Amino acid sequence: MTDKSTEELVVDSVKAKFPEDVIDAKVQRKNRVSISVRGNKIYDIGLFLRDELGFDHIASVSGIDYIDAKEFEVIYYVWSMDKKVLVGLRTKIPRDNPTLKSLVDVWEGGLYHEREIWEMFGIKFEGHPNLSLLLLPEDWDGPPPLRKDFVLPETHQERLEEKIKKLSGG
Amino acid sequence: MSVMKLSIGPQHPISAHFRFLLDVDGDVVLKLEPDIGYTHRGIEKLAEKRTYLQNLPVIERVNSYCDSAGTMLGYLEAIEEVMGLKVPERAKYLRVIAAELNRIASHLYAASLFSVATGLETMLMWTINDRELILDLLERLTGQRITYTYQTIGGVRFDMPDGFKEEALKRLDYLEKRTEDYYKMLLWNHTFQIRARKVGILKPSDAIKLGIVGPNLRASGVRADVRKDEPYEVYDKFDFSIPTGKNGDSYDRLEVRFKEVEQSIQILRQAIKDIPKGPIKKWTQPIVPQGEAYTRVEAARGEFGYYLVSDGTMKPYRLKITPPSFRNLIALPHLCRNVPLGDIPIIYISLDLIPMDVDR
Repeated sequence: MTDKSTEELVVDSVKAKFPEDVIDAKVQRKNRVSISVRGNKIYDIGLFLRDELGFDHIASVSGIDYIDAKEFEVIYYVWSMDKKVLVGLRTKIPRDNPTLKSLVDVWEGGLYHEREIWEMFGIKFEGHPNLSLLLLPEDWDGPPPLRKDFVLPETHQERLEEKIKKLSGG
Repeated sequence: MSVMKLSIGPQHPISAHFRFLLDVDGDVVLKLEPDIGYTHRGIEKLAEKRTYLQNLPVIERVNSYCDSAGTMLGYLEAIEEVMGLKVPERAKYLRVIAAELNRIASHLYAASLFSVATGLETMLMWTINDRELILDLLERLTGQRITYTYQTIGGVRFDMPDGFKEEALKRLDYLEKRTEDYYKMLLWNHTFQIRARKVGILKPSDAIKLGIVGPNLRASGVRADVRKDEPYEVYDKFDFSIPTGKNGDSYDRLEVRFKEVEQSIQILRQAIKDIPKGPIKKWTQPIVPQGEAYTRVEAARGEFGYYLVSDGTMKPYRLKITPPSFRNLIALPHLCRNVPLGDIPIIYISLDLIPMDVDR
């Protein structure tokens, strides 16, 4: 019997600790593991990954809009320095009222990543200290831009000129 | 104590548009809040509306004037991983040569900005002058000075011209002798040491907790580099080492960059000597099947992460880019607490944040 690789050991430990909440955990290729979980348990699984398995270097947080299936997917990519494995912790949330518990207490480096996802997709992270506009202009009042049904009927410049004309009474 | 709110920027001579909001009490900065988004171009949304080939010049301009060859590699590797495309050996060596030359040019640029921030302007002229030698080499190889679109899906576009090898080796010898002058002029200079030592000390445990990457992480003593952790292209064939620093202050962050220039010269000499003959491109229609990939490459400023989701059409479904400066941004408010006002430019420049990287 061959020894299990580091990636397979990670998958086995997570499946053993949270048997009902892990929907799918698999090894994608060398150095890549993907774990799909339910949204309400992502905080506990994140703590387990950080404290017990040593995944403490957050690489990226990304959001995807699956408009046909009417859901968003949020993925946290974390790296472990000694194991040299990247784990993609992913969860799907419904598109009509997207909220998720913020993982800023688990991985402090995700502060600006979560703020950008809020601004671009409209997903609320409960417990985040400062959900305000990061990259978009300060007077942005349109819909979140990275959604698939985002259509800007006129440019931001034209809307600004309309606003100025209205304010100056013209 | 009376707290004054101070706003610096967004136009200032030290970098592109970036604004600092400071809380100042006398000469001491209590808190710093960065304000970003002045150079946001919406590259992730643009990438969804263009085909994979049309995206090549767009992705390159995420960080155009410093490090465009290192930026492109991650996007191409993500496409090639989902397609299962194998790149010829000669093309891999040429990609590495372009990326390492760009790393040297980028570190020289960072050193020039650092010397301007401390007021020692002779070093600005020397490093920008030597950077011209590298850009001239890149122009002979690719036809452009800063934004190349040299690497493409399946290989590279042009082959090495005649006489390139000898000219490159001559210039690399000159650059190696020149680093001794840099040490004497800047790093061992007494004035520079007073301004840069013990300023902005980043502990290694904090660096890992915040997600810092690149030379900033290595200056704190953590030996982490994507070229050694997950070798891509042909980096596993070369013999080079990863320099680290001891204290994690601003002086170490600059010294690590100079040592990386010396290591890049070693890699380039080996690549130019060992490059095999063969084709430079394997051209196929970029029809990318359904799938996803996350690739990491080591650019000059740190680790670039690309997450590509493809749905089988000619355009990407989602392309998420995580640049190194966006991950390093959180170090700025962490380090700038209860420091004198004169230390703010030193800390900002030593982290090497490029606002175009941060905003995309």
